[in-house]
Amino acid sequence: MAVHRGKGLATVEYPTGMNQNGDPSQAWIKVKPDGRVDVFSGTADIGNGSKTVQSQIVAETIGVPYDWVTYDNSNTDSSPMCTGTFASRATFVAGNAVLKAARQVRERILAVASRELEIDPADLEVADGAVSVKGTPAKSMGVDEVAGAATFVHGELLTGDGAHLNPGAAIIDPTTGEVDKPPHAAISYAACTAEVEVDDETGDVRVLSLTQAYDIGRAMNPTLVEGQIDGGAVMGLGFGLLEDCYPYYPTAEHRGDGMNTYHVPTMAELPEIKNVLMENPSSGGPYGAKGIGEMSNNAQPAAIANAIHDAVGVWVTEFPITPERVLAALDAKREGRSEPRREGRVVAFDEELSINSFTSAKTWGA
Amino acid sequence: MKVVGARLPRYDGVGHVTGRTTYVDDVRVPGMLHAAALRSVHHNARITRLDTGAAAAMAGVHAVVTHADVPLLVYGHLSGAGIPGDEPLLAKDHVRYRGQPIALVAADTVDIARAACAAIEVDYEELPALFDVRLGFDGDAPVINDTFGNWYDQYEGNLDVRQIRKGDIDAAMDAADLIVSGVYRTQSVEQVPLETQVCVAIPEPDGRLTIHTCTQAMYFSLGVVCSHLQLPMSEVKMVGGTVGGGFGGKVDTASDTLTALAAQKSGQPVKWRWTREEEMLASGNRGPWHMEIIDAVTSDGWILGRKMLTIHDAGAYGRFSVYGLTKHSFHHTGAYSIPNLHFDGYVVFTNKIPTTAMRGYGVTGLSTAIEVHAERVAKELGMDPYEFRLKNANRVNDTSPNRIAYEDPSTVEVLQSLAAATGVELGDGLRAMTREQRSGDMLPDHLVAQIGSGGGH
Repeated sequence: MAVHRGKGLATVEYPTGMNQNGDPSQAWIKVKPDGRVDVFSGTADIGNGSKTVQSQIVAETIGVPYDWVTYDNSNTDSSPMCTGTFASRATFVAGNAVLKAARQVRERILAVASRELEIDPADLEVADGAVSVKGTPAKSMGVDEVAGAATFVHGELLTGDGAHLNPGAAIIDPTTGEVDKPPHAAISYAACTAEVEVDDETGDVRVLSLTQAYDIGRAMNPTLVEGQIDGGAVMGLGFGLLEDCYPYYPTAEHRGDGMNTYHVPTMAELPEIKNVLMENPSSGGPYGAKGIGEMSNNAQPAAIANAIHDAVGVWVTEFPITPERVLAALDAKREGRSEPRREGRVVAFDEELSINSFTSAKTWGA
Repeated sequence: MKVVGARLPRYDGVGHVTGRTTYVDDVRVPGMLHAAALRSVHHNARITRLDTGAAAAMAGVHAVVTHADVPLLVYGHLSGAGIPGDEPLLAKDHVRYRGQPIALVAADTVDIARAACAAIEVDYEELPALFDVRLGFDGDAPVINDTFGNWYDQYEGNLDVRQIRKGDIDAAMDAADLIVSGVYRTQSVEQVPLETQVCVAIPEPDGRLTIHTCTQAMYFSLGVVCSHLQLPMSEVKMVGGTVGGGFGGKVDTASDTLTALAAQKSGQPVKWRWTREEEMLASGNRGPWHMEIIDAVTSDGWILGRKMLTIHDAGAYGRFSVYGLTKHSFHHTGAYSIPNLHFDGYVVFTNKIPTTAMRGYGVTGLSTAIEVHAERVAKELGMDPYEFRLKNANRVNDTSPNRIAYEDPSTVEVLQSLAAATGVELGDGLRAMTREQRSGDMLPDHLVAQIGSGGGH
């Protein structure tokens, strides 16, 4: 009886935006008489940080300080349509909508400043809340002054609106699955190594560390990206080892009905997490961004399962990998029942789990 | 660029960590009633009698909402994508899962509302239940779903299976040195948001409804509410955008429509906050996936072909499951290029809670299956797990299962980067590998026809 260590690898890819696209987002922006910027977007912030990231996009694109931006996603009367915060789409799709709206605002600021400064808008730039003449930074006026002039001198309202829609991809042949255009806005990639300890007496698996490399296009806010990745890693650990709504499946009894009977990972299970962020800008995302929210819990379960095999030489392919399943697999190994069926070129694992072992109503095989 | 890419603090962080953010449960409205739901105690049963008379007559009870109060009882969340609706907002004459809502009571207090739920008289005729998707195809299995039968049968109109076919799977199997099969079963998982499902619906003096919502998708939920209530979007104002965790579990619009109906019927503001037990036992969760993979590989580590069967356990009703399975099918080669494919996927119904979106929808279980299988194949071949993955990693202009050319795949780079971060020494050939379009040793004959013409992200 001993504790064994192992390492396992997994690589994943994940799409940004709804599968088959066709999921619009819209936004509009108005500028107050002192140059402060109000963004109206319909994107719910579910903790993913979309209020922050969309405000960053607006500040960057117009050329004003981040703290000049107020973000309102509070209701459907004032905010335009957004398909929603899911499918890793809030930064890419809704972010593109606010980006386009902010570009319009910037153009209108330049147009008013051009009249005030009597200089062609093409020779002007906006940064840090000021409009200045390219190459002659001394000649400038604040965006607050521009907005004041727009309001009180020119009788104008500085606004912008933007919408983004990746056109819907249709399945043109349902027998082959062929589509007529890309069914995703972008694809993100990641790889993960899990290091585990397996107790062969109790079946207990402890994840010691998760090391992960993510290509997320562009980290709009690295702190928020790391938050997604760390949170996802822990969620992936729960999926891999702990959580099951139907622990006695295929019966539906004895379900966990609270935090004390349904165990999600806590600080007690938290492994060391080390992340590498890679930036491979996407062609269509705002500032090269891709989605990161969802894929961050996809690589760990397999990496953990592979690490368990590395540690004790058993494959557990029913999830979560509970101590009971580990012990059952170790028993099978000890009793010589864990080898796949090998016949000529065929190596067949898990035949007892296959639909072939349960019914003859669906035929399946090589 | 200074703002984009900066480590700026969260816009709403201080409010969240100091408890000052206003969530839906913090909304207080004068005259607000509280709601509780009567839910099915059976997995599968006919409702032979439903009598709300005694409950409605109780002191402090202001409205009892049943199926008869819903203007449009069945509305498909994916009707815009041509997928018919199958789930009644409130059960009418049949309950298909334990926890299915049958009635909502609005009363002066939650305790009164719960007592009134207990006073609703329901007679059930219990029926056999099905929980294992592997048994759903059997001729003698109980019929689970009135609209679709035991598995969804209307892909692109009339197919009962989501198919991917590419290349020549039989030729790949014939040419293989090794054929490795495995079965992978991932479970149902609850999203466990700290904020349970909650809604406050307010009938306004001008006849509109204000709905304080915890939805992840305000406009989607606006559409769902307005469809069930048969109202134009101008008559409902959704107030939300600040959500106490969702992870996919708050796309279903689980509480808004019923709370709105109770507010309409009582003429008073109504709050419905699910208990933790309801959240755990009755809210839509991540669905289980049963996946069988057969890979045809060569002794030097090329994956020539993949045959895959996926059975997605939808629970009792469809919700987003067809979307999830389609997405799953599009990604069933994972981060690799496999030229010959034969994929069959089914959405099968069981008497469990209807499953719904959760972080990684359609793919989390799939990635798990693909990557354990990849490890097994590498081990069977006696090959280094990095080498096997890098060799088969998708590259620029390789085509996806749907024949879309990959524009900027980073599988090679993330693997190289991970190896560096974990002290794994890759051989020279693997270290020099790039994402660039295949050529030379990385373009064997079986991949030549796989190369596309670019432009597909």
